[in-house]
Amino acid sequence: MRQTVLQTKKLTVSFGGLKALNGLDVQLYEGEFLGLIGPNGSGKTTFFNALTGIYRPAAGSVLLHGNDITGAPPNKVYAYGITRTFQRLRLATSLSVLDNLIIGNQRNLNLGLWHNIFNRKSFKRQLQEQIQISEELLSRFSRDLAVHLFKPVSSLSMIDRRRVEVCRALISEPNILLLDEPSAGMTPDETRALMDELQDWRVKYPSLSIILIEHEMELINKVSDRCVVLNYGEKIAEGRYSEVSMEPGVRAAYLGED
Amino acid sequence: MATNRVVGRPFCGTRVITMPDFKTKLAILLGVALSVVVLYGFLYLEREWEIGALLVMVPLGVYFLRRTNALTYYQHAAREMPRFTWISFVLGAVVLIMLLRHDDFALLMLTTVLLYATVSLGLTIQFGFVGVVNFSAVAFFGIGAYSMAALNQHFVFLPDLLIIFFSGAISALLGALLILPILRTRGHYAALITIAFGILFRTFLEVNDVLGGPQGLKVPALEMFGWNFGNSFPSEMGGGSFYVAYAIVALVLVAIVYLITRLIESSWLGLNMDSVRLDEVASAAFGINGPRWKIAAFMLGNCFAGLAGAVYAAMYGFIAPANFNLSDSLLLVSIVLLGGIGNAVAVIPAAFLIVVLPEKFQVIQEYRLLLFGIVVILILRFRPSGLMPRGLRQYFAGRFG
Amino acid sequence: MDLGFFAQYLINGLVQGITYALVAVGFTLFFGVLDVIKFSHGDVLMLGAFTALAVFLGLDQLASPAWLSLIIMLCIGILAMGLLGALLCKFLVLPLKESPPLNTLLITLMFGSVIREAVRLFFPNGSNPKPFPALLPEASINWGNLNLRLDSVILIITGALAIVVTHLLIQKTRIGLAIRAVAQDEETARLMGIDFKKTVLVTFALGSGLAALSGISTGLYYQEINFSMGLMLGVIGFSAAVVGGLGSIYGAIVGGLLFAFLQTLGAIWFSVPAYKDVFAFAVIIILMAWRPTGLLADRSAERV
Ligand SMILES: Nc1ncnc2c1ncn2[C@@H]1O[C@H](COP(=O)(O)OP(=O)(O)O)[C@@H](O)[C@H]1O
Ligand SMILES: [Mg+2]
Repeated sequence: MRQTVLQTKKLTVSFGGLKALNGLDVQLYEGEFLGLIGPNGSGKTTFFNALTGIYRPAAGSVLLHGNDITGAPPNKVYAYGITRTFQRLRLATSLSVLDNLIIGNQRNLNLGLWHNIFNRKSFKRQLQEQIQISEELLSRFSRDLAVHLFKPVSSLSMIDRRRVEVCRALISEPNILLLDEPSAGMTPDETRALMDELQDWRVKYPSLSIILIEHEMELINKVSDRCVVLNYGEKIAEGRYSEVSMEPGVRAAYLGED
Repeated sequence: MATNRVVGRPFCGTRVITMPDFKTKLAILLGVALSVVVLYGFLYLEREWEIGALLVMVPLGVYFLRRTNALTYYQHAAREMPRFTWISFVLGAVVLIMLLRHDDFALLMLTTVLLYATVSLGLTIQFGFVGVVNFSAVAFFGIGAYSMAALNQHFVFLPDLLIIFFSGAISALLGALLILPILRTRGHYAALITIAFGILFRTFLEVNDVLGGPQGLKVPALEMFGWNFGNSFPSEMGGGSFYVAYAIVALVLVAIVYLITRLIESSWLGLNMDSVRLDEVASAAFGINGPRWKIAAFMLGNCFAGLAGAVYAAMYGFIAPANFNLSDSLLLVSIVLLGGIGNAVAVIPAAFLIVVLPEKFQVIQEYRLLLFGIVVILILRFRPSGLMPRGLRQYFAGRFG
Repeated sequence: MDLGFFAQYLINGLVQGITYALVAVGFTLFFGVLDVIKFSHGDVLMLGAFTALAVFLGLDQLASPAWLSLIIMLCIGILAMGLLGALLCKFLVLPLKESPPLNTLLITLMFGSVIREAVRLFFPNGSNPKPFPALLPEASINWGNLNLRLDSVILIITGALAIVVTHLLIQKTRIGLAIRAVAQDEETARLMGIDFKKTVLVTFALGSGLAALSGISTGLYYQEINFSMGLMLGVIGFSAAVVGGLGSIYGAIVGGLLFAFLQTLGAIWFSVPAYKDVFAFAVIIILMAWRPTGLLADRSAERV
């Protein structure tokens, strides 16, 4: 039996009267690629926000390797090895690509006063290390992008920004990666390239588990091991995409939406 | 020896600009010399038409330097050799002080500029880097000043240098009172808290007899390194007003504070602070503890203000609540904004403009708050990044990319 | 303390509280439609009072009766400030909509500073306090320790009436509907065909008009105004709006009354009068730390 890394039990998030998540039970296994689908407004992003401590669940719990981390603040969640991308990109656009990636690698930085202010030699060493890591990572995703390492993010195209956002989430070598519609606005080719790269990454880090929110059903079908379908904050189906997509409840949810 | 220094690093085929070492240094020294001459002119000249002529010439000069690419060359040079630039400017300032050594009023203005620049560097860390607003800078400046006065009165045995440090520390600690409300609230609310604090501070001083009430307190001259700062320099030492010593102290203060600010900026600390300012939620999702950086920045900035306030109090010899108004806090904010939010170098010329111009034009003096208000409105409306916008972050000498 | 004293404090506190609430309602309106704080609000209030004073001085030459003067002063003061508020919004606030909130805050703060300085420099003898005409009837009744002034009663009723009218305007009229729609969600409001800019301008005019009213009330009550009165009233009004909960009219009323109550309490407890403000602000700062979104408003979490 595969090991469960992350589990939510009866997770509930409400905004005023609206229950954006309602008693959600989700399991994520080690090394798994889980697809999270559902119509707009069904609570997918909210699920990520609740996992990463940005929203506080009204009820229920989040277990990481069996330990209760419900309500842990975002910076703690990151320290546990969970990183994410944002649906509406949240890069620091006036900073360089390098700086954004280094921000993502926060847990490997030495923040000591001595190291940063006085011992500039050791700081320089760490900087060069970060530059190298960032460069390698970027060039995995796009050769051209690595050239822009020292350019401000605001000078990049939307597509490149999405790639930077994914790299920022990967650079710290997380155990769990949460991707919120990373391919929005990309052409099918670009999306495929991105997904291929993710698959490569999984080969390199077999224990990495990924949850992917995605609208393109073909893609989910291709890359995910399993998927969970949300509607109105509740799980309406779970299983392999080929099975789930046949279920009448799922079809109704999507047809009702479209 | 003309060793070549790499300005741009050859990453991924980035263009490489090389500059010979001595030419770089020459460019920096020329920049310093030019600044000293212009500043000397500003401080020394008295007739309004002379200052006016200078005021017209400076932008023309800047325009000319920009057109001939000299300005760009200079900027490259300064970016490449920050340490050399820093030392040259400090020495340039010493020369300026020596040139003005008999001119009490010019020295007083220069020292005030340096002290205001110190406070503005604190504000730069606070809202330029981490994004915490502070509209009570002058209250923290005032806390430093009053600490100086009170400690001097009640703990005569303490050395003055220590008292200056204590004043900075007291300022930082009293500011810590505001941390909880500021952290719990956002943006506008934090602004209100600091404004209310500034008003409270003034009211408190006015009704408090221990601190002299509305009449204020006298502060004795500094005594450090065996020198009484109240004395003018004897002629065998070349002569000079007693303000020379204060100007030197203020210069040392601003030079150190500037160095600290730049070191913070060019390290992970500065990166984290910028990240918190730009997007606190995303920062938190990558492990950055926003409150921690806000607290650090707020306390450090207030400490700078307190240090400057202590020197200010000793120099003026007298402080009263009327010196610490909301409008003075706004003046300090104007300095940061006029220079360019987050650009540490820019606060110095900006402080010059804002402190010296009204002193030189009596017409302006009366209308100065009105004019600054209008200037800041125009800047915000048409050039929000200030006269010298902050560049991309830079960790080390040379240009990355 | 006996009942008379108590009632006296209550009446005085109410006059104050209503004035603060009027200012706070303005802050709440601006924040509602545009998520901005207009820090020049207090100075607009002061300018409203000075405009009214100038109008009075002009009318005095014509020997118009007190009640007529008062009405003309109110009309001109309120209209002029309403216009000023709309202009400020059009030329300084809206153009900065996409820049960091700090910039809006600063630009309005500086605009306030400009108004203040302009009055100090250009109003004849503007740096000194100015007597404000006592135009309200001066009758009063004594009940033991209570001295009930008719003008206090009139001011309380006028202020309360102004707030009620504002509330009705927002709840019952078309433009009010537009204001509420914009406050809910700008994008949706635009999609529904609401003229966003016009709505915002009207809101700013409305809030600034209320500020003028409270400025004139303050003048009538204390019979003195000065160029820096707006600073404190602005900060107090903002505190009141924040403590009540920005975006909620009820919150503004609660906040205004609460602040006046705290000041009264401070005045009773401390012998030095200035400590009443120190006390009130200290409590406000603590309340803000305890309830960052205010006592009444319930703004949902930032959308991520
Ligand atoms: N911060 C918030 N405040 C109020 N409602 C929210 C907030 N965030 C999400 N919602 C609501 O929760 C529901 C789920 O939203 P979301 O998780 O973004 O959906 P999805 O990502 O599946 O499209 C929606 O009805 C949305 O309006
Ligand atoms: Mg979503």
